[in-house]
Amino acid sequence: MLIVDQVSKVYKTKVKKGLLRSKWNEVRAVDQLSFELKPGQILGLLGINGAGKTTTIKMCSTLLQPTSGRIEVDGLDSVKDDIRIKGLVNMIAGGERMLYWRLTGRENLEYFASLYGLNNSQTKEQIKKLLHDVELEEAADVPVERYSKGMKQRLQIARGLINDPKYIFLDEPTLGLDAPIAKHLRQYVKKMAREQGKAILLTSHYMQEVEELCDEVLIIDKGKLIAHDSPENLARSIFKQHHLRVTIQKVSDDILSKLRLMLQRYRGELQLCYENGQSELLIRSEMDITSPVLDFISMYYLSVIKITAE
Amino acid sequence: MFSVARATFIRNTISMIRAYPWSFFIGHILSAIYTVLFAYFAYHYAFEEKLDSRFVQYTGSGDYLTYVILGGAIYSFAVSTLMNVSRALITELREGTLEALLLTPSLRKGYFLGNVTQQIMITSLEFTVIMMFGLFFGLNLDNMNWLSGLIIWSLAIAGFFCQALLLGSIMLRFRDTYISQNTLFVIMAFVSGVSFPIQYLPDWLEPVSMIMPLTPALEAFRNCVISGQSLMDNMSQITHLLLLSLIYFMIGSISIRRMEKRVIETIFG
Repeated sequence: MLIVDQVSKVYKTKVKKGLLRSKWNEVRAVDQLSFELKPGQILGLLGINGAGKTTTIKMCSTLLQPTSGRIEVDGLDSVKDDIRIKGLVNMIAGGERMLYWRLTGRENLEYFASLYGLNNSQTKEQIKKLLHDVELEEAADVPVERYSKGMKQRLQIARGLINDPKYIFLDEPTLGLDAPIAKHLRQYVKKMAREQGKAILLTSHYMQEVEELCDEVLIIDKGKLIAHDSPENLARSIFKQHHLRVTIQKVSDDILSKLRLMLQRYRGELQLCYENGQSELLIRSEMDITSPVLDFISMYYLSVIKITAE
Repeated sequence: MFSVARATFIRNTISMIRAYPWSFFIGHILSAIYTVLFAYFAYHYAFEEKLDSRFVQYTGSGDYLTYVILGGAIYSFAVSTLMNVSRALITELREGTLEALLLTPSLRKGYFLGNVTQQIMITSLEFTVIMMFGLFFGLNLDNMNWLSGLIIWSLAIAGFFCQALLLGSIMLRFRDTYISQNTLFVIMAFVSGVSFPIQYLPDWLEPVSMIMPLTPALEAFRNCVISGQSLMDNMSQITHLLLLSLIYFMIGSISIRRMEKRVIETIFG
């Protein structure tokens, strides 16, 4: 299991103040973050740019050391046992970096297999399997510089799996990919977790991707954990709450009951208040139900004073 | 460690075959050839083959052209070794592969060993071309003690490699290759006895020459080639070279690891 316990990361950067003077600036990228990642689980890390997602992933993969707190991978400490942890984890980042462009896809994988200490037969077997999985068998002996963006990204995935890691960190893996390729990648990620028991930590900008893949989602902002829940609950509570405020002439209880019934079909909630002989309806729902509400109003010839969507 | 070295050797050789920066190769050879030609014309036409009496006293020989050609060849060899090894990590950084490399549990010693063995292929070729060119302009190998010369040459590679580790960490620190390496190369060319004995240097500059592995390597190599001396005759230079190698290796290994971490911190900070 991967345990991130009260981890903080502070970067110290030098800022120029004039020609000769400079000043150290401290940036708290991750602040007291805690979570656990179990085998077979896909955990999403969601946040805007600069929220601390990539820093968290780099710390988990031992590239960066936490300023405070503790990261443990299968009981090993990320600072003291970094070399042993490196054999258990791997990271796949979006984009076209982390590959040797002058080497072919196969040569890249052979090189990384050597760096992970795989023997000849393991290397051959693993490369054959990975090239098949990422559908690069035909392009295996073509230099990477001639690959398309999608092919490079698929080779990146193969590189990230060359050591058969127990823990995989995916840093915006579908960044810049075409929709069908991104979909294929998502299916592959799901398969790795469900069928091979890999623990996957995924950062993404796309809520849809997180909803589709993750068992749990952490939302971080300025390095701090602000929410931790299932994607469904988070989507309901944060991302898809539509508010519609309608002010109408006072209506009968019968019409209000019919409105409540209609809203139930759309999983909407009604909050009502009366003021100066008018009814103010606050309608909350997961989806935008402005159209059905307007249909309802026109069906019962209600006169609308004001309507706002939030 | 050796499997990493072997893999890095193969990777570099493939990259070199596909896209070798031949300008480096030609540049190193040309630079040494200019040194040889300059020395040849200056010796014959400017100084009319007259040497300062101190030259013989300092070097134990009056063969100035062999002295300079060997200086130019070994200097070129040192520059190539330093350049190729020290640029290895910063090149990974620039090409976006440093993170992938640092993610692996591989030992950095193996990585550098692979780099140095691969670059020896190229630098040996450069060295051979310069020596062959030198034969037409006064290089005399008649008295050469080949075995001792070869051993000194190997020890020199180790010395330059250790110095390259420190240079590499300086490059990573300042994210610069041009100024750091060229400053060092100019100083090396001036203080290490490439074209004149270090005893000609002002007293205050001599200590600088003593911290360059090129100085004892060059002195011992010349002794083996020009005077045919054995390893035993050059024990003080060999000890000097080994001591410098050890010091550079210790400082370089520690600093390069620290710089790797710092670079990653800086990228994200």
